Amino acid sequence: MSDVVLEASALRKQFRDTEVLAGVDLRLQRGQVTGLLGLNGAGKSTLIRCLLGLLRPTGGSARIFGCESWNLGESEKARLGYVPQEVWLFPTLTVRGMADYTGAFYANWDAAAVTELLRKWELPQDKACGVLSAGERQKLGIVLALGHQPELLVLDEPVASLDPAARRAFLESLLELAADGNRTVLFSTHITSDVERVCSHVALLGSGRIQFHEEQDGLKERTKRLRLAAGTTLPSKADLPGVLQWQTAGTTGVMTVNNFTAALPDELRSKWGADVVVEDLNLEEIFLACR
Amino acid sequence: MDISPSAFVVQPSSGVPIYRQLIDQVRGMIAAGRVQPGDVLPSVRQLGAELEVNFMTISKAWAKLEAEGVVEHDRGRGMVVTGARRVSLHAENQQQVRVLADQAVIRGLQCGMSRSELLGIFKASIEEHLQ
Repeated sequence: MSDVVLEASALRKQFRDTEVLAGVDLRLQRGQVTGLLGLNGAGKSTLIRCLLGLLRPTGGSARIFGCESWNLGESEKARLGYVPQEVWLFPTLTVRGMADYTGAFYANWDAAAVTELLRKWELPQDKACGVLSAGERQKLGIVLALGHQPELLVLDEPVASLDPAARRAFLESLLELAADGNRTVLFSTHITSDVERVCSHVALLGSGRIQFHEEQDGLKERTKRLRLAAGTTLPSKADLPGVLQWQTAGTTGVMTVNNFTAALPDELRSKWGADVVVEDLNLEEIFLACR
Repeated sequence: MDISPSAFVVQPSSGVPIYRQLIDQVRGMIAAGRVQPGDVLPSVRQLGAELEVNFMTISKAWAKLEAEGVVEHDRGRGMVVTGARRVSLHAENQQQVRVLADQAVIRGLQCGMSRSELLGIFKASIEEHLQ
C-alpha cells in the first residue's frame, strides 16, 4: 500500500448550489506521471486544491502519503511540490532572493540544482519578482517547486504562459525528475501533445468525476475509430457496447469505440457485411470523443 | 555497432502509442537490413532524452522486443539485436501492407470503381515505383 502516493475516494466539493466534484476516485501510484485533462470549468483546479488540502472537501476523502490532505504534517509537506496556476511571489524580492527564501523552509533544498535551473531557464537572478512577466513567474514557480526534489509534484496548468522554448525545457526537467521511476507527478493541462510525450497515465475529469484514469498506451489501444462501408443500410442507433460516437448515412458509417479488440472488425464484417477501416486516434481526438 | 538515437523518430500525436512506434521502427530496421545481429539499441535514458518522451515508454518498448526475442539484454552492452525474427517479420510487413491496400480498395469501391479499374491503378503504381 505504501506505493499509493495520492488517493481520493468519493471526493465531493460544493460551492453554494454548485457541485463541482461529485465523487472523484483517483489513485496515483509511485512513479506514475499523470496528465489531468478536462474542459474549462470541469473542476481541475478545485480537484487539485482539494487533493493538496488547500480546499476543504464537502465529502469523501483525499490522502497524500497516507495522510489526510486537510491535516498534512510538516514531513508530508516536505515531500510535496506544488505549482499553482497563479504563482505567489514577494514583489520586492529578487529571483535569487525568492529562491533563497523558499529554500530556507526545506531541509533537503538543493541550492546548486536550483541555480542551474535558473540559468538553464534564463531567469534573471537580480530582477525583482514584481516586474517578472507571466511566463517568468510560472518558470520561477516551477523551479521553486523542484528545489527540494519532491516525491510528489503537482502542477496546475504549468505551461499555460510558457513560450515554446520554455515549455520544452519544462518537459525536459519533468522527464529528468521522473527518470528514476520513484517520483510521482500530476499535472493539469490542455496541451494533449505534452501529455503524449511525458505522461505514463492520463486522467479525464468530466461531470464532476474521473471518467477514466489509465495507462496512456492502453487508452489508445482500446479507443479507435472505425469507418464502415456496409452491404446493407446501417441502423441509426448503435446496438453495441462501448460505442462513444455513431454517425451513419445509408450504408456508410463512422463509429468510435472505447473497447476495441482485434476481433471487432471481423465481427462488424460478418454483422453487416461491412468493409472496415480502423483509424488510430490521438489524445486530442480521444478527449473530444469522451468529454 | 551502436544504433544511433537519431535513427528513431516518434510522432507523439499520431494516435499510435509511442512504444509501438519504436517497436515497429526496430523491426523495420532489421527487416531492411540496416541493423544486423549484434547491433546495440540506444539506452533508455539516451533515447528518452533525445526524443523527449517518458523514459518508461522506451523501457516498455525494449522489454517487449526482448520478450519477443528480437533483442536480448547483455549486461555489459545493453539491448543487443539477436536476428532471430527475420522470417516472421516478413509476414508482419505483408500484413501491414495488406491493411493499407484494404483502405485504398474500400475508397475505390465507395467511389464506384470496378475491379479492373482498381487493378489498373495498383498495376500502374507498382510499375511506377519499381523502376
